Amino acid sequence: VNDGWNQKLDDAAWAWAPYEPGAGHDWDLRLAGHLYRRTAFGGTWDELQAALKDGPQSTVEKLVRPKGETNAFNTAYDEYEREAAKSSSANNAVAWWLRRMIETPHPLLEQMTLFWHNYFGLTNERLSHPAMLCRHLHRLRHQALGKFDALLEGVLNEPALFVSLEARANRKARPNSEFARILLEQFLLGPGHFSESDVQATAQAFTGWFVSQDELRYAAREHDTGLRQLLGREGDFEVKDVLHMVLQQPAASQLVVRRLYRWLISETSAAPEALITPLAADFAKDYDLARLVETVLRSNLFFSPAAYRQKIKSPIEFSVGLVRSFGASVGTLPLSLDLAALGQNLYEPPTVKGWAGHRSWLNRLTILGRASLAHSLVSNQGGYGGKMDIQGIAQKHGAETPQATSDFLCDLLLQGDLPRPARQSLAATAAGAKAMAEAISPSTGVGQVAALLAAMPEYQLA
Amino acid sequence: MRTTRRDFLKRSLGATPLLAFTSVVPGFLSRTAMAAAGRLGEEGPVLVVVQLSGGNDGLNTVVPFEDDAYHRNRPTLRLRAEQLHKLEAGLGFHSEMGAFHRLYESGHLSVIQGVGYPNSNRDHEGAMRDWHSARPGESARQTGWVGRAVDQAFTVDGLGLPGVFVGQIKPPFSVRSETALVPSVASSRPWVLDGFAEPVARLAAVARAGANNSLLEFVQKETLAAYACNQRIQEVLKAGSRPGAKEYPQLPLARTLRSIAELIRAGLGARIYFAELGGGEIGGFDTHAGQAANHGALLRELSDSVAAFVEDLGRDGLLNSVLVMTFSEFGRGLSENGRRGTGHGSAAPMFIAGGKLQRRLVGAHPSLTDLEDDAPKFHTDFRRVYATVLEQWLGFDSKRILGKNYELVDGLFG
Repeated sequence: VNDGWNQKLDDAAWAWAPYEPGAGHDWDLRLAGHLYRRTAFGGTWDELQAALKDGPQSTVEKLVRPKGETNAFNTAYDEYEREAAKSSSANNAVAWWLRRMIETPHPLLEQMTLFWHNYFGLTNERLSHPAMLCRHLHRLRHQALGKFDALLEGVLNEPALFVSLEARANRKARPNSEFARILLEQFLLGPGHFSESDVQATAQAFTGWFVSQDELRYAAREHDTGLRQLLGREGDFEVKDVLHMVLQQPAASQLVVRRLYRWLISETSAAPEALITPLAADFAKDYDLARLVETVLRSNLFFSPAAYRQKIKSPIEFSVGLVRSFGASVGTLPLSLDLAALGQNLYEPPTVKGWAGHRSWLNRLTILGRASLAHSLVSNQGGYGGKMDIQGIAQKHGAETPQATSDFLCDLLLQGDLPRPARQSLAATAAGAKAMAEAISPSTGVGQVAALLAAMPEYQLA
Repeated sequence: MRTTRRDFLKRSLGATPLLAFTSVVPGFLSRTAMAAAGRLGEEGPVLVVVQLSGGNDGLNTVVPFEDDAYHRNRPTLRLRAEQLHKLEAGLGFHSEMGAFHRLYESGHLSVIQGVGYPNSNRDHEGAMRDWHSARPGESARQTGWVGRAVDQAFTVDGLGLPGVFVGQIKPPFSVRSETALVPSVASSRPWVLDGFAEPVARLAAVARAGANNSLLEFVQKETLAAYACNQRIQEVLKAGSRPGAKEYPQLPLARTLRSIAELIRAGLGARIYFAELGGGEIGGFDTHAGQAANHGALLRELSDSVAAFVEDLGRDGLLNSVLVMTFSEFGRGLSENGRRGTGHGSAAPMFIAGGKLQRRLVGAHPSLTDLEDDAPKFHTDFRRVYATVLEQWLGFDSKRILGKNYELVDGLFG
């Protein structure tokens, strides 16, 4: 089977064509779970069942453009976050964002906002006030499925970028080449796609821009009007010129597509050039992010073994996904602290490169920490206060016996994709847990089974 | 003592129900599990960095009691010869540092004198940033020196967990890394999952045959190593509460170092641990007023805690694979101010403690008459100390971490 797949993997026409079930590649619970993990942190039982019935293409449509009112929800949360970000610490704003991820009717928008937060890697640590980063994140969300050119233009006009990258003052006499290098390398073109002269020209284009009192200001007399070479052209460039010229380079769209490949398809293999080049060229026609994301999500490649379980869940995907699968909600202030200890502190990516992700997420301490977090979330003890009614959900879907409950939870959280001996052992644990639960408290035992599943190696994979 | 595979499985995966599954445990698993249960210290020597936040007054820590300038400039804060624990060359430890003196006498503690850097910053945040990044003045730098060492061990040596921050404060910038994750834990205890670990380990050990997914194999392997480690942490904690186990003083730094000792004993495998004394931010060592009592208490905490740690590790031969290194963002000025305190300075001593030290006093005490804006001048750049510890203790390539080759400091390790 795998040989067949491998042959197709560098065939762009096949890879990016919409996936149609059939011919030995059926649409099943496993693939529905895969789609919901990558786009919505995780799916509830009802969502997974609806996806099975509706098929992959309609489900993608629903995830990209959900029916119903999402604007009112987002406007309300923008306001909550803005209020919370008035405090000197970012903790409350982070807690509101986590709550938004758990409750949003448009989870893909949050996944993509997180993608851009990771892409730009701006950190609140260097800012005087979390309001600045909150504004940046709102801008990211606003264009997360919008236009990439507009997104970039917005970010390049934000004080958060300049302060976070230590480029508050861009004087004629001291153009900031380190700042320019980071922009070109991380956000605009990628390593190897620009020259030292492009760095100097970009730094010069930013001369005249200052951050004072948390606002970005332009002082024309500090702008260097000398001629420079940028991407093969000579001139006195402004920031908007840099942006315009960069976006005409194939490297610009390729950088985004490569990062998106790692985010949506696979962390385990580098994106093949044969797949990236045509997709990036198509993306560069209009820089429409919704169209790009949709193409990837609808594709044969996305539903192939090249993508299935080829990513490690971030701590956020792990925990928000667990909560969302049960349609529940938990206290997100304690959650934000637990997530920071597991290595993912929202508002504070470690460096401008974002979170390294992949295998770095899991080590001896974070693996135990994840299990401990899952246990706290689903149990009646601990700071989370047992807000997740696992037993109730299992019963609602007709699981009465320990065997049925264990099967239901295994299908909900892992779509049944667990080795048979582990499933059998799980059922035995569920039976033991039920006996224990009857003696102690009704929901402890079933919660234990859910936490066990969340601690499995399979559950760490997105 | 040799560990047999069966012993290991019992030990790492808990109670007997697992044995029913041994037939499906694939070969790699038992090998990994054996490695995870391997001998202590086999992942290489361990460095424990202790940050003293606020700017430690080096002159009242390692006191030049024979120097008139010291007594003249510190009318109330000066410590007299009879109050001190004498070293040599007219130097003595602060009166609260009896435990450090004991370590010094037994050759388990060295003082590196006059450490600082050119044009040093006297602002807490800026100076701390310089010591953390080891790239003074480069404010846009994204990573700390410990973080870069951790990244190197992660990417080059393939260590899964090269560094850990242990403490209650936000992890300092020093441990900021780019490719590896440096977890932050308050102690060794919250990771113990009573009654839950055993079934998880049992289910995780079931063979994932046919999955044909190397990422899943990696996660399974790490999961089993994690639970083996968890089991050993529980055993270490149990052994630590038995009568006759090393007592630690009831002090925050002692609790942190005790946790680090437990994690080392449990074979966590980290090469660098980072701990802090003084409370982070602008810490307790920032003694602008009423210095004597506060400073004395902090020095006692440092000295008693590190000594307990060293003595604990010495009991089972671990001392030869562990090194403690202290630093502070700056020393303090020579002159006492009008509020019985001292201002921000520059050069100060660093301490290293462990089992394989060479000289007890490294470098001369800086002059008290040739000052720079009231503070003693440095003669040893702190990056030379970092480089020496990275190269000679950890066996790391210091140039990749510090950006250039620094002359190594003579006489640190025997």
